[in-house]
Amino acid sequence: MTSTSTGGDNAVLEARTPLKTRLHHAWRPFRESSRISRGLIFSGLGIIAAFIALAFIGPLVYPYGGTQYRAETSPGEFTTFPELAPPSAEHWFGTTKDQFDVLARIIDGATLAFAVMALAVSIAMVVGVTLGLFSGYRGGRLDRIMVTAMDAVYAFPPLVLAIIVSFVLAAYLSPGVPSAAAAVGLVYIPQYFRVVRNHTLSVKEEPFVEAARSFGARNRTVLGRYVFFNVVQTVPVILTLNAADAILVLASLGFLGYGVQPPTPEWGYDISQAVNDVAAGIWWTALWPGLAIVLLVMALTLVGEGLNDVINPLLRARGKAGRKIKAMPMARRRDRSQRRSDAAEQDGEGLAVKVRDLRVGYRTASGPLWAVDGVSFDIKRGETVALVGESGCGKSSMGRAMLRLMPPGGVVHGQVDVDGTDVVTAPGSEVRKLRGEGVSLMFQEPMTRLNPLERVSDHFVEMIRTHKPKTAREQARALARDALVQVGIPPTRIDNYPHEFSGGMRQRVMLALSIVLTPRLIVADEPTTALDVIVESQILSLLERLRAEENVGILFITHNLGVVAEACDRVAVMYAGKIVEMGPVDEIFTNPKHPYTRGLVASTISLNTTELRSIGGYPPNLIDPPKGCRFAARCPHVMDHCTDTPPELTEVGPDQRAACFLYPGAGQPVPEGVVAPSGDPQVSGI
Amino acid sequence: MKAGSLGRYIAQRLLLAIPMVFILLTLLFLLLNAAPGDPVTATLGGRLPPEEIAQRKEALGLNDPLYVQYFNYMGNALTGDFGNPITDPRSVVQIVLDTAPATIELAIAAMLVAILLGITVGALSGRLRDTPFDVGGRLFGILIYAAPVFWTGLLAQLYFSVELGWLPSQQRAGGFDAPDPITGFYVLDSIITGDMAALGTVLSHLVLPAVTLGLLLGGVFIRLVRVNMLQTLRSDYVEAARARGLREHVVLFRHAFKTALIPIITIMGLQFAMLIGNAVLTEHTFTWPGLAQALVGFIGARDYAAVQGIVTFIALVIVGVSLLIDIFTGLVDPRVRY
Ligand SMILES: Nc1ncnc2c1ncn2[C@@H]1O[C@H](COP(=O)(O)OP(=O)(O)OP(=O)(O)O)[C@@H](O)[C@H]1O
Ligand code: SF4
Ligand SMILES: [Mg+2]
Repeated sequence: MTSTSTGGDNAVLEARTPLKTRLHHAWRPFRESSRISRGLIFSGLGIIAAFIALAFIGPLVYPYGGTQYRAETSPGEFTTFPELAPPSAEHWFGTTKDQFDVLARIIDGATLAFAVMALAVSIAMVVGVTLGLFSGYRGGRLDRIMVTAMDAVYAFPPLVLAIIVSFVLAAYLSPGVPSAAAAVGLVYIPQYFRVVRNHTLSVKEEPFVEAARSFGARNRTVLGRYVFFNVVQTVPVILTLNAADAILVLASLGFLGYGVQPPTPEWGYDISQAVNDVAAGIWWTALWPGLAIVLLVMALTLVGEGLNDVINPLLRARGKAGRKIKAMPMARRRDRSQRRSDAAEQDGEGLAVKVRDLRVGYRTASGPLWAVDGVSFDIKRGETVALVGESGCGKSSMGRAMLRLMPPGGVVHGQVDVDGTDVVTAPGSEVRKLRGEGVSLMFQEPMTRLNPLERVSDHFVEMIRTHKPKTAREQARALARDALVQVGIPPTRIDNYPHEFSGGMRQRVMLALSIVLTPRLIVADEPTTALDVIVESQILSLLERLRAEENVGILFITHNLGVVAEACDRVAVMYAGKIVEMGPVDEIFTNPKHPYTRGLVASTISLNTTELRSIGGYPPNLIDPPKGCRFAARCPHVMDHCTDTPPELTEVGPDQRAACFLYPGAGQPVPEGVVAPSGDPQVSGI
Repeated sequence: MKAGSLGRYIAQRLLLAIPMVFILLTLLFLLLNAAPGDPVTATLGGRLPPEEIAQRKEALGLNDPLYVQYFNYMGNALTGDFGNPITDPRSVVQIVLDTAPATIELAIAAMLVAILLGITVGALSGRLRDTPFDVGGRLFGILIYAAPVFWTGLLAQLYFSVELGWLPSQQRAGGFDAPDPITGFYVLDSIITGDMAALGTVLSHLVLPAVTLGLLLGGVFIRLVRVNMLQTLRSDYVEAARARGLREHVVLFRHAFKTALIPIITIMGLQFAMLIGNAVLTEHTFTWPGLAQALVGFIGARDYAAVQGIVTFIALVIVGVSLLIDIFTGLVDPRVRY
């Protein structure tokens, strides 16, 4: 096939990536997985290796065979083994009532188990994969019938199915490895079928297959390769888990008497032979074969589960993977305690929240990062502060930190003072009481923030009665109705489920939830993104009313500068985890100081796009942030010393501060001849 | 709106179950008729004079062409007639009626054990992820899954019955100990008749098999509950519930756990097949006189007719259970009704 054509061939190329790259790719999840998962996999592999050694080297080394009942003491002279002898130097695991050596039977049982397991899983895989490919490729009615048939087989008790199959097979084959393997293997066909069929079906519609076909590729090749590479990721898990299960089914068949021909050593059969020994208090005939089963099945399951943990990204993406976040430097800590004391004196009725040196860190697989890195600001009661900045600069992280809501692996340092309580250090119960009542957070994603199983009314009642336990249910519902009316949702819909609302309506429900207890501070994370203009302006005027009448402080996170100009008093501009400029809204729009702010204001396009028309480049990697000014790589005014030390926020106008070396006080002298830009950047340029 | 959409949903599920039953029964028929020869000869050949065998075959319709047998089989199965065994004078339906209560009693008791264990350990494991408790819980789950139920059963017998002599190891309560049969469920019967002595015996017989089977299922549930708890605990609405200042136990149980239950119940429905398979083994180990034990007996006697009847019954129960699970999910989860 040619790969010079345009469109779609990327994907085709992807399917042909060299094996080495693929292996590297495949190994990545292992590196990122937790130590526990890796430990489980490797201890499982160790046990399996030991069993393989037992099964294949054991028979050569161990003096007795599994069906041997006597040993040759001298040429031509035999002594028979004792019956039901307890473990001894002669017979390590004891002997059975048939005078067999238990350990010898375990060794031979292992050989048999591996043979049946390998054959059974191969049968299941070959049949399942073939049928799956065929069914998915053919599609149509045949596909539907096969899917239902496979579902039916899958739903049927595997053991009962295996019994029936071996029962029927017994009419054709004498019991042995092949018939046992067939009976055991049949059970797993549906699993392979399902995986392969689904992939085949989905890939048939992929555009690149179309593309590959159109320039003459043999579509089966493309299909086969693509399906192969996708299935290869799921099959190892299914395979190991099936192998584990196969051992159990084989033993169960043996126990019930439908396995291999007695007295062939087989663990399940041996246990069934030990049933009467147990009643007589003899333990060794039943214990050892069972232990062998447990160990081998457990090892296989450990590997399978571990692989699943590693491959399934949902389970993998845990906060605790990766290196720890370094503790805060000592100096900062001292700083904090000092500030706490001056917080106490300053914090009067006037402030909705006071944030000092706030840092929010995450542990990620590729290393720790500070998404918010030393941010300080105040929001007064009755004031709306906008927080703007590019996607990923840490806005939502900061919003969550106001309530100390952290995903696993996240940490908050610094100080967030709400009504005299430091959210960062206060005991959990105090923070909990503050959430929703003192500070409420309107999340960015409205679709997934309501519990799908609960009515909207339940959300309200539950919340109101948590904070105000004496409220009667009806009273709480009345409050909820009020709040819904305020956000423009008919109160008759109070008993609907979340999925019965549109995205915009859900966002308004979220807003109603965050205002119902009239908190001191509302953090609104992009509260109007899913709304049409009319609703948006309703919401904005509602927030405006809360601000003016209820004296609520609002942190308004948004990408929409138009909204900022309309609804906010002050603006904080964030870049790569730091506030780079803060000031009154008029100043920010007409006379911004920081080059980044100037770039933002100059670009009339919405910030929703990742690329700004007037600022080239991308924000820095937070895992390894630049030493000096974080904007340096994109700054049109960059100077030599900008990359040495970070600039500090400094007074650049009345109530306006910026962190840039173009202004005196940022930490470095302004070189001679350098003139800071000023005026409206849309007019005078960045 | 609610009742209507739920009704429609149930009707839809019922319609989907029809092809499932049809295909499942067809597969069973094909499988059981794949063996050469006929059931009567297989079971009684050599023990009865040839004339009588021929007569019996005629009576059972075994001389009819296969497709006629197939239609008879399907028709009978769907009207609740599962045929007559060759080695037992009772009809299959009667056998089911006689033995199923013992199996159901065992299954319910085992389920109670399993749910208790699976939900507490699983939910805590999910909450305390990667702590020693979690690792211990996971290892226990894997260990108990790896242990064949007949083997744990034997060890339990060895220890609790033979060593300690605390509990009976075999059978259900029998003879004079058994309560007067009313429903066939001995626990229920002894409560109804107020026979406390019988209740004690009945329970003591039930403990070992139920705990053995329950531990095994519990191991599966632990894994299931843990994974689903992990998923819901990370979900947006759980974070939002915390942001509203709800108490942690409310967040955990009302918000995380309740939603986690839906996939758990769905998968538990699939595990029903596993329950049956392991009930076969448990009943065999404890000589518990249930349906599974009867099935094993008939397989041993090569009684195709009885095996076919009982297996058909099991198949219908499985489809029924998955239907019930679907309906239950529909009741709990408002989203799926649409
Ligand atoms: N749970 C998490 N684990 C690891 N890293 C995270 C996590 N949440 C956020 N981050 C990282 O922190 C940084 C800031 O993310 P945040 O969501 O706060 O950005 P944002 O400014 O709200 O962006 P947007 O405008 O797209 O909403 C990003 O680099 C992101 O990758
Ligand atoms: S400090 Fe230097 S690099 Fe940073 S914004 Fe100011 S001029 Fe640009
Ligand atoms: Mg965000």
